[in-house]
Amino acid sequence: MRDRLASAIVVSLAFALAASAAYAHAQLEKATPAVGAAVAAPSEIRLKFSEGVEPRFSHIALTAADGAAVPLGPAKVEPGDPTTLVAPIAKTLAPGVYTVRWSAVSVDTHHTRGDFDFTVKP
Amino acid sequence: MMPAHFWRVVVGALAAVVAASWLSPAFAHAVCGDRIFPATLGIDDPGVSDELALPTLTWLPKNSGGAQEFDATASWTKTILPGLGLSFTDGPTWRGPGGYGWESLDTELKYNFFCVAAFEFMGSVGLDVDWGRTGTRTQYEPFNTYTPVLDVGKGFGDLPKSLNVLRPLAITAEVSSSVPGQSWSDGNQNPTTLNYGFTLQYSLPYYNSHIAEIDNDFLKRLVPITEFVFSKPISNVPPGANLTTGTIQPGLVYMADSWQLAVESIMPINGASGHGVGVVAEVHFFLDDIDPDSLGKPIFMGGK
Repeated sequence: MRDRLASAIVVSLAFALAASAAYAHAQLEKATPAVGAAVAAPSEIRLKFSEGVEPRFSHIALTAADGAAVPLGPAKVEPGDPTTLVAPIAKTLAPGVYTVRWSAVSVDTHHTRGDFDFTVKP
Repeated sequence: MMPAHFWRVVVGALAAVVAASWLSPAFAHAVCGDRIFPATLGIDDPGVSDELALPTLTWLPKNSGGAQEFDATASWTKTILPGLGLSFTDGPTWRGPGGYGWESLDTELKYNFFCVAAFEFMGSVGLDVDWGRTGTRTQYEPFNTYTPVLDVGKGFGDLPKSLNVLRPLAITAEVSSSVPGQSWSDGNQNPTTLNYGFTLQYSLPYYNSHIAEIDNDFLKRLVPITEFVFSKPISNVPPGANLTTGTIQPGLVYMADSWQLAVESIMPINGASGHGVGVVAEVHFFLDDIDPDSLGKPIFMGGK
């Protein structure tokens, strides 16, 4: 039994090593403005994912508290860092609560999505 | 002989199910909308995907039979079609008294039949078969046991933002009935049992990406969880065995990108369920993430 258990652990570790180099679902790791934060008016939305994303199929939308869409420039990945998606904000944001809605397609085509709020301080 | 009308309805229903499986975004991990349900240990999660649980280690100081028990199992799920998977589970067990043996083979055919993304609500149905006369003679039953299973999961991300702190919550639940292939064996009655359970889970990954940033790489991957697992004989019950047994299993799940580690304690609800606090731990690999182009995709209709 001990040998079989050891074999299971070895196979498990091998998978762990393989997994460390694997693609996965792109989860939002960090955002600028930060999720739930109160900040000065930002000039861009910057989303850092756990995996590289395909910019052609990944989107960011921004809405004000009244539901009005805030125009954004096209979302692009950071040069040299396919895990970071950036969309410029076309105008200076007035104080208030804003909602970021994102959808991401990781480089292995898994879909994920989410949303969060941030507040622009007066 | 079934009328042609009947078969048209059946074919139409199957076509609708296949079409729905293409349209749903749910068929990788147990993902539905913004929610990722982690793999759980006491009951099954509501998703179907290519995955490998290796190993699942369980230690009980005294099981329901009064013996100390240690199990080491492995489980592999292979998707056949998107949302339809077949899993194989087996492994050794050691009981003192009782000795070492190999558990009987367990398989489950499971279909993830719905996901309402906006409500983070998904469900699966399955047929589990515990194959008699497989494994070590001291461990197996001389008959198959058939268990139809329903699994559902509901995340609460659709709650209003005034209740933000509750939005990372999710509940999953399972109900099944285990029907033995023989009513009697070796002079003993084999009861049919009703099995049911649920989990309460609070996803810090969800909190980090939807509510407020967690500035700690370890914490933001944890899911505190408690599982409640029960079983009750409902027919062909031997005299004196009409007791509900079960366990309460608080623990933690650490969710990495393509694997997870879960550790739970096992607390029996009564003497018939065991004595003392046990522990179960599992390393779980999501093969659809590790190898999405071959091992991790469905055998049929697995194109992207």
